[in-house]
Amino acid sequence: MALLEVEDLRVAFGGATAVDGVDFHVDQGQVVGLVGESGCGKSVTSLAVMGLLPRRGVTVTGKARFEGVDLLSLPRSDMRRRRGSDLAMVFQDPLSSLNPVVKIGTQITEVLERHRGLRGDAAVKEAEQLLDRVGIPDPRRRLGEYPHQLSGGMRQRVLIAIAVACAPRLLIADEPTTALDVTIQAQILELLKDLVDSEGTALLMITHDLGVVAGLCDEVNVLYSGRVVESAPARRLFAEPTHPYTVGLLNSIPRLDLPIHEPLKPIRGSIADVIRWKDGCAFAPRCDRVTEECVEGEPPLIGTAHAHRCVMAEEVA
Amino acid sequence: MLRYTVKRLLQLAVALLGLTLLLFAWFKALPGGPENRMLPDNATDQQREALRQALGLDEPIWSQYGEFLSRLVHLDFGSSLSSGRPVATELADRLPATIELSLAAMVIAIGIGIPLGYLAARKRGSWLDFGAVSGSLVGICIPVFFLAAMLKVVFAQELAWLPTAFRLSPGLDYTEVTGLRVLDGIITGELDVAWDAFLHLVLPAIALASIPLAVITRITRASVLEVVGEDYVRTADAKGLKPQTIRGRHVMKNAMLPVVTVIGLLLGSLFSGAVLTESVFAFGGVGSFIYQATTERDYPALMGFILIIAVFYVVLNLIVDLSYGFLDPRVRVRS
Repeated sequence: MALLEVEDLRVAFGGATAVDGVDFHVDQGQVVGLVGESGCGKSVTSLAVMGLLPRRGVTVTGKARFEGVDLLSLPRSDMRRRRGSDLAMVFQDPLSSLNPVVKIGTQITEVLERHRGLRGDAAVKEAEQLLDRVGIPDPRRRLGEYPHQLSGGMRQRVLIAIAVACAPRLLIADEPTTALDVTIQAQILELLKDLVDSEGTALLMITHDLGVVAGLCDEVNVLYSGRVVESAPARRLFAEPTHPYTVGLLNSIPRLDLPIHEPLKPIRGSIADVIRWKDGCAFAPRCDRVTEECVEGEPPLIGTAHAHRCVMAEEVA
Repeated sequence: MLRYTVKRLLQLAVALLGLTLLLFAWFKALPGGPENRMLPDNATDQQREALRQALGLDEPIWSQYGEFLSRLVHLDFGSSLSSGRPVATELADRLPATIELSLAAMVIAIGIGIPLGYLAARKRGSWLDFGAVSGSLVGICIPVFFLAAMLKVVFAQELAWLPTAFRLSPGLDYTEVTGLRVLDGIITGELDVAWDAFLHLVLPAIALASIPLAVITRITRASVLEVVGEDYVRTADAKGLKPQTIRGRHVMKNAMLPVVTVIGLLLGSLFSGAVLTESVFAFGGVGSFIYQATTERDYPALMGFILIIAVFYVVLNLIVDLSYGFLDPRVRVRS
């Protein structure tokens, strides 16, 4: 059984649809990527699964089954007990994600207190071990410091320590390295990989960076305009990208083995040029291979292990 | 934190010294020196000169300033030109009433303003929010003396629920300890005095609280609205913390920063409001005394008053700065 199974997830902010029928699953101990450009709905998907979207003005439908229990229909207090303990999240910007006026130590021990019932010295000792585990030197001193006294990389390590504090079975990381230097990015990814490998934690990695996906993920889901357009094991996705959007993403990566003046190949248009999925392929307005068939109703998901949502896929491949 | 405190204390000393210099210069620059006020119009030049010598006004300016400072340190502001009693005594008699009134107003403003502002923010767009926002607008707009007079007419005269004036009903036996009568009544166990003083305090305190209450409500609301949208509040939520932990540790501690600053500023301005309120309710604070001193060019009285208000203001700002440092670790700059 899948650890997390998201089925036909839809999120609308007032009239604007951000997530338009997303399906994917994460198995025990698996690293799954959710890839797409800004505005494709990947962050909103993760927030919906965590139950962190504001209640007012937002409609969430569909299912997000975690170990068989639909998180979306859980009472708020039950969800609150699961957040931070069964499933936890690491956010994008480590500075703004830590409370500037509360000591690092408290920000870690409060979650230990809440979900593991650790108090006083026991909680502090555990927090110290957690900081040590995420590679922060001199953890005892750091516990008494405030976020502004730490470097960006260290802050992200603290957030990771907080997320893994209660040994969650699913860790969601929303662009955890975007706000960091390249050298630090590699260290943080390495740390995440080590942590999930050693604990058997499943990781849902939300990113726009295909390099991160290649280095980390077992399975990849490519999102476009609030829907999965291609999903495959990472190796197969890179070997035989099928959906024109995936192909476009891969082609737009700068490459060191091409002549230096070769221009980059971006995908033309922007994510704002869409048609609704129920009328046809949302990517059609930006697609080089678009035909009449593309805009004749909703494109189905074709295939199982390596699935895609392109009616013209055979010709593309 | 200790370093920060010491640094702020030193700054306070400098500020106070600068203040005395300013005060001294200001009184020197005023036209029509005190000798003209103290002597009748038909006094001779000789008599004026004699008085100037007696008052030390013929000394060099720096030695006058030195004398001025040394007297201030001994709380010797001279005698009031109107009553002939020492200014320090006059003020000491009247300040407790003003302090009691200001404190009561501040307790109302903070005690209602912060929770109300918080609720308005959390229930944004609700009737409560609408009421709080428009109510605070009214509170800011109504002149204090007008509100005081209206409260008096409605609740004291028409409905007769509360006393119209003074700090105690006539005929009550009162033992002074601190001069804050509600407090004194509780300390000495004269609960009837405490209750009576409390009833006398209600209307003036409400009138005086109107502006600070409105300002604190608005600032709290705006501040909470800003903070609940911050990433770290979402992080706290993602940790599955209890709502009360999120509220206290993550929302309010951050949201209080601008509120504390504003409270400090409001406390200072409360005194001017107190002067007006006191006159409406014949509350017997420094208000009427200062009004009289101003119209009669009673320089020693004014000087003493201004100095005390200034010290009060500077000390308040120190407290605000220190509590700021306590609330926000980023303020505790390491030099």
